Amino acid sequence: MSDLIQAALGRMLVAGEFIVLLYFVGVNLWYLALLVSSMLELRRHMLLISGESRHLLLSSTLSPTISILAPAFNEAASIETSLRALLALQYPSLEVIVISDGSKDRTVEVLVERFDLVPVKPIYEQRIKTKPVRSLYRSSTYPSLVVVDKENGGKADALNVGLSFARGELVCAMDADTLIEADGLQRMVRPFLLATDVVAAGGTIRVVNGSDVKFGRVVRTEVPTNPLAGIQAVEYLRAFLFGRLGWNRLGGNIIVSGAFGLFHREAVLSAGGYLHDTVGEDMELVLRLKRLSYERGGPGRVAFVPDSVAWTEVPESAKILGRQRDRWHRGLADVLWRHRQMLFNPRYGITGVFVYPYYLLVELLAPFFEAVGLTTLGIGLALGLADWRFAALFYLSAYGLGTALTAVTLIIEDVSFHRYDTFRDRGLLFCWALVENLGYRQLTVYWRLRGVWKFLRGRKDWGAMERKGFSAIPVVRTGAL
Amino acid sequence: MISQRILDLVMLTEIALIALAVSLYFLHGVWLLLNQRRITAATDSARETLVRLVNTGVVDTEQVKSLGKIPRGVQVTIFLEASRNLSGAAKERLRFVAQQVGVLDRARKLCESRWWTRRLRGARILSRMDIPDPLVLELLRDRNPAVRAQAAEWASAQPSVPVITAMLRLLADPTTQARFAVQTALLRMGAVVAGPLATFLERNSGRAAEAGLRVAESLAEPRFEAAALRLSRTDDVAIRTASAKLLGGIGGAPAAERLVELLSDGAPEVRAAAAQSLGRMHHWQSGSMLAQGLKDPTWRVRRQSALALRALGAPGALFLRRAMKGDDRFAVDMAQQILELPAAAAG
Repeated sequence: MSDLIQAALGRMLVAGEFIVLLYFVGVNLWYLALLVSSMLELRRHMLLISGESRHLLLSSTLSPTISILAPAFNEAASIETSLRALLALQYPSLEVIVISDGSKDRTVEVLVERFDLVPVKPIYEQRIKTKPVRSLYRSSTYPSLVVVDKENGGKADALNVGLSFARGELVCAMDADTLIEADGLQRMVRPFLLATDVVAAGGTIRVVNGSDVKFGRVVRTEVPTNPLAGIQAVEYLRAFLFGRLGWNRLGGNIIVSGAFGLFHREAVLSAGGYLHDTVGEDMELVLRLKRLSYERGGPGRVAFVPDSVAWTEVPESAKILGRQRDRWHRGLADVLWRHRQMLFNPRYGITGVFVYPYYLLVELLAPFFEAVGLTTLGIGLALGLADWRFAALFYLSAYGLGTALTAVTLIIEDVSFHRYDTFRDRGLLFCWALVENLGYRQLTVYWRLRGVWKFLRGRKDWGAMERKGFSAIPVVRTGAL
Repeated sequence: MISQRILDLVMLTEIALIALAVSLYFLHGVWLLLNQRRITAATDSARETLVRLVNTGVVDTEQVKSLGKIPRGVQVTIFLEASRNLSGAAKERLRFVAQQVGVLDRARKLCESRWWTRRLRGARILSRMDIPDPLVLELLRDRNPAVRAQAAEWASAQPSVPVITAMLRLLADPTTQARFAVQTALLRMGAVVAGPLATFLERNSGRAAEAGLRVAESLAEPRFEAAALRLSRTDDVAIRTASAKLLGGIGGAPAAERLVELLSDGAPEVRAAAAQSLGRMHHWQSGSMLAQGLKDPTWRVRRQSALALRALGAPGALFLRRAMKGDDRFAVDMAQQILELPAAAAG
């Protein structure tokens, strides 16, 4: 009898492992298709921008006005440098709106002192319901600067207030500590000039840890030596250079990073702005814009601009990184749940039939498959129900192919933008690409599963996010942002 | 269950793939390094040769030949680099040398290619060298919008009648990119386009007229008055709005009269534009009408009316202060905010 049970258990384990194995083979094949798509897209893009002169855009009085929305929460230590860098961005028609989201430190006082701010009556056209605005400031020396001090309500709420004050045709949503390259906006605006149906565009986010930053600009790039930051640098390259670029060609982009994205203001306002009660507000907005474009028949294209770059600081401690990844995955689960009617619904075109299922099956459920695969494999090996060849094949399918794809991504980066040009940097990047499979990926599986668990329990907190900051003074971010 | 052969095959394939990718990655690094050294050396010496040729004005065949031997990419780079910083006789000499070296002929050939990326490259070279070549004029009708936009950029430095006529036709271009490039190029041409543009606006309506009005607004020539007055009476809100803005730039009694009429237009965009224009004209006589705008149901009209009143100076400030004592709380709020704005932010 026990033999029978053992045999049945063995068959079940093997069948389960085969399903997981097939899943990984399928996912990697899809990644391969995405990689080919991204290469074609990058080639087209490089041909389009090679030798491009942007002086027409820079000198034109007809360039669309961009309003930068910079939400800030307890950023007193770095706000002056960040804001001066924003005001110095190379774009002809720019408005900068800083929204202090109920900062408890001296953020507003620093701004008032350093930028000659004068309080004016805080009235505005409120098209989206938000937390009350406490005060509004305009600068006597910087005509394009607007500072709003409001009650704490979270990043989405702060961005909604910014949307109400913005006068630009386009709005750039960012984090106050994101470093946008000087010509980032000139490049980012390109899709809006190329086509009339673009509602949002995202740029490439790169990891700033390890690089030199002066006056809010990255002056020398280096691959981080900290393992966690280094692995994230590889992850970011993979996500942007082959993930989003590949989807761009297929018309399936539904993510614009919250750290740096450009939106058509009117489209966002008529969609109702950012949602307050989600931790994935950036993805939710983009998916909603897409959905509404199908339902109302208006524009709804989301573009990715690989040469428009912003730099961000990534966590170097596993605890903080875990919180971030948990939040990201919670956000993904929440967004997919909110828009579940799009799943396999031909009414929503490629987004419903192809993109949504991809995010559900590949992005959301990947940690489940990976966890099931690793667990059953462990049990199978322990009980002698799975042979070592199968284990090896499983590992090769789950991680080996991924490493090969990452290596190709590194080549793409080197051939196109090669921001990391020393052999030390190349060696480090490749080293981090190998190391990520030995523990890091398994950790992310745990963090992502934790995120889904928290989502199921209805948790919507952001968790504390500590940053070292670009200046000598550490910046601590807590609370709603 | 899993045969050793399959496993070996998968493992070998993956190892080969990773090894290949890594080798390519590092080899590309080596190539970049060596190529950079080679290109830097070639560029430096070519730059020196080019500067000598352009400065002396004497065409030394040997030197031209030496420029012809450097990689084509470097040739293009140094010629475009030099072109940006030269004008007049020096630029003429540069063009002559470029012709001798073969840069221009190759660019012309690229312009005739069946691949749009090559046509774009050709147009970029000829455009940045300011070569008045009819081939680029032809590209204004190219099927690819990026090429049309590039040709429009070229046209901004070639303000002749056929070029301007072709450019005006492109104001109705269905793609934003080409339209934007044409509008900006027309603006860069300056006053020379005013006459043809005025005639164009008198005869056209729709998207082309709207795009033309935006150019005209920046040029703000009195010659546009008749067209602006006509277009301010069309059914299209966007055109009426653009006309109101243009009338504000032109100024004069007929414009002011029409703008005052537009203050009671049915579309808030038009009312806001009319208020903004009256402020721009410093038309203090319309102060009381603008003060009425402070009570408008639309936020944007209230704000533009208040800003216009502030732009009028003392008489406008008087109206704003009076509004602060009124019983319409929306007008009170708006008047207060605009009066509190620092001068730099009220423009």
